[in-house]
Amino acid sequence: MDQETVSYLVMSALMPIIAFAELPRLGGGIFSIISMLLILSCVAMLLILNWVDYTVFTFVTSVLGITFQPANNYRIPKGQDAVIKSVRGLYYATGFLTANLFPYYFKQEATGAETEESKLLQAPERWERAIMSLDFPFKYHVLSSGLDVQAVRDELEGKRSFQEFQLSRAMQSSASADETTLTDIRRKISVLQARIDRISQGEKPIATIMYMETTAVGVSEKAATDALAAQINSLQISMSGLDVDLVRVVGRELHTLFNFNFALPTTFKEAAGQFDQES
Amino acid sequence: MISKTFLFASLLGASFLFLALALLVPGKGALVYLVKLVLLLVSIAADIVAFSSRHYFYLISPILSQRARNVVLSAEEPYRLSSGADSVIRQDGDTYTATVYINVPLYRSSTEMNDAEKVDFTRQVSRLVGISKSPARFTAGLYVMNKDLYIQQLRDTISGVESEESVLVEKGAPKEDVERVRGKLSMWRKMLEHVSSTTSLELLSFASVSASGTKEFEAAAIAQQKARELMAGIGTTFGISPNIVTGSDLLKFVEPEYLIPYSTVSEQISRGIQAQVI
Repeated sequence: MDQETVSYLVMSALMPIIAFAELPRLGGGIFSIISMLLILSCVAMLLILNWVDYTVFTFVTSVLGITFQPANNYRIPKGQDAVIKSVRGLYYATGFLTANLFPYYFKQEATGAETEESKLLQAPERWERAIMSLDFPFKYHVLSSGLDVQAVRDELEGKRSFQEFQLSRAMQSSASADETTLTDIRRKISVLQARIDRISQGEKPIATIMYMETTAVGVSEKAATDALAAQINSLQISMSGLDVDLVRVVGRELHTLFNFNFALPTTFKEAAGQFDQES
Repeated sequence: MISKTFLFASLLGASFLFLALALLVPGKGALVYLVKLVLLLVSIAADIVAFSSRHYFYLISPILSQRARNVVLSAEEPYRLSSGADSVIRQDGDTYTATVYINVPLYRSSTEMNDAEKVDFTRQVSRLVGISKSPARFTAGLYVMNKDLYIQQLRDTISGVESEESVLVEKGAPKEDVERVRGKLSMWRKMLEHVSSTTSLELLSFASVSASGTKEFEAAAIAQQKARELMAGIGTTFGISPNIVTGSDLLKFVEPEYLIPYSTVSEQISRGIQAQVI
């Protein structure tokens, strides 16, 4: 959670806290119970919005039938899962999929050169095999940015120190520490150490946002969105061999990715702030 | 235009105001408590919308102001081409963002590489992704090839051969001559059927980079500079000569209809309808 989200959450949480503290003044008997339930549902809603806002907003727009026009000639339907453009009586529906690489926690532990070599060897073939099975247009985007080496190193060392502290605390309180917890902490430390070593060896840390875009066409909006859904399914099947996290993008991130075609973020902080939930 | 912070503060202020009203309404009894409950409900709604404005400022502000089912976030074109036709310009208030697209002519296949070359190629791609310090986007896109011109040439040829056939039939030409022309006609028709029935795809690689400025030319100049730096990095990594995309070729990267040529689409649709009728 970034600093801005924390400040929004804290300030929004003030209202239900005050209301809860002043509960007796809001009514007695059944009204008091209803007020308390409302306040609790408000807190629950704030927490839900903090983690799965895209699901809530998509649900709201679907139920209320709200559509959006992000630019002239473009339309985002109520499901917020596609951007539709109408040209000469034809409808072009564009959808997005996240394609972020899974965090290789276990693979990062196995730093053997052999595993690395075999991954590098298989990558071009896997990619070609995936795209050869597709017969519709799509784009695979990698938005990347180099990070400050020293800042990343400091951050990783800080995380390692924290894990080491956790490990020593867990080992001291031997009554509550089980072997699984200790193994988990040790694994985290070795992953962080492997990353620090890679930076020490001269590897440049980069941050990436990977996503796929595909466009389907139809004589009606429904035909285009149906064809898009089929294409997205095909993409998910074809790309599953690449070990990427394939999730269909809906809601605000769809709008952000649509805008990326015309203007990319100029700083990585700007980009990362928009992708803290789904990807 | 209101800012995100202003909207959040206003909605939060409204939430506290309604809560204060709910707390300060004097008296007791079911009716008073009902009023308090309604005020609390409004306060909660305002609070939730205020928190949502963190990510949904771009939606909440137009929804509140337009109160319509079709919410217009922008009625303007999403971009325009720069005067030099070498970058895509987007204006957001007083800020201009220019995006430059770079064509990366990379035509290698793993089928023609040995194991060492495959490893090298993957390493080159990894290096490519980490080339730029500022955000840069690298894309591999599968596009439908534009066969409009070829299809049109085939159609013209077919109509030419059809008129040749009708002339021969009218003149009462020898049977062999008519059969020869009919054979030619059949060949061209089959050729057209084959060309239009299969979708030919091409894989293009490109990179894009953006820069902002208070003036259009400033943003475009910075973006061009960034693009040149990126091109130098790509060229060194792969030993190729990338080039900046200009003019109408830029549309291929920003407009969905340029992904699939119109003739291909119409041919696909008519075949779909024929299949349904059959």
